[in-house]
Amino acid sequence: MRFFELLPVAVVCGGLALPAGAADLKLEARLIRGANDGGDIVKYKPADPELSAKLHRMFKWSNYYEITNATAGIALNKNCELKLSDACTIRVKNLGASRVEVNCIGHGKQLCQGAYALTPPQWLVLGGNDTADTAWFVGLRAIDTKPADIKKAISKD
Amino acid sequence: MNDNIQLDLQAWLDGELPAAKGRRIDTEIAGDEEAGRLIDELRLVKDSLAGNEMGRNVPETREFYWSKIEREIQRRTQTQAQAPRRVIWPRWLAPAAGFGALACLLLLAVFPINQPGFDETSSTGEGLEAVTFHDQAAGMTVVWLTDTAPAQPAGSSDLKTPHTGNPEVEVE
Repeated sequence: MRFFELLPVAVVCGGLALPAGAADLKLEARLIRGANDGGDIVKYKPADPELSAKLHRMFKWSNYYEITNATAGIALNKNCELKLSDACTIRVKNLGASRVEVNCIGHGKQLCQGAYALTPPQWLVLGGNDTADTAWFVGLRAIDTKPADIKKAISKD
Repeated sequence: MNDNIQLDLQAWLDGELPAAKGRRIDTEIAGDEEAGRLIDELRLVKDSLAGNEMGRNVPETREFYWSKIEREIQRRTQTQAQAPRRVIWPRWLAPAAGFGALACLLLLAVFPINQPGFDETSSTGEGLEAVTFHDQAAGMTVVWLTDTAPAQPAGSSDLKTPHTGNPEVEVE
């Protein structure tokens, strides 16, 4: 009898030991091109002003264009591969607790691999030179899936 | 004359000694000249204080002034009287906590936390080098890949940070 009385407490305590972020991750990825003049990429739409402003803080290019974007839901400890262009693929693994392992693949070769915190609304941007006048960027961001009213309540507290 | 005898004499003068001890002191004073001098001196001090105590004017009435003192004494007494309360835990809590801790350990054993460090680029492609920037103000982390070829890499001049010295950007 006593064992069954204690069991719920043990279950609760045990549950606390599980990783806090043991949930699916909703991920947003954007392939961005940085350029000083439009050239042949004017056909693409300008990048999101917010992300573009952040990139302007750090990089010299005067224009940023969004080549493509994608979203994905990734279960805990699962991988997801996002093909952003013919040359660029991103493989992301959800490590839980707002952490991801990212593999960036360019032209079929692994460019870099790393583990990063991905806390909404922070951006993780991978980038490099493309040609002498342009650069590529892959922006990754976790999408906060909490309902707005819950977020408001949390922020009030 | 030691300190204890001096204290006894002072208490005798104030009438604070028991009757038997008081009679013994009477006898000692009669035969001890030094004790007699001390008694005379103490009596002189006592009389001087009793007749010349300075008056003190307080802004409140006498009753209110003393009531404040009384309240303060009561407050301090109550504070001292409040012994630290013993926290009584439910009897089942200690074994439950132990059982919970055991469950946690078992879960950790079954699902070991084997996560790498974060904001770490663990590997780069051949001929590439990664530099990580944290821009706290913008809420952005940038991993910038550059060629490690001997020629001046084009990307090295693409970053504003080294030129502007933006203090909000941390470079790893």
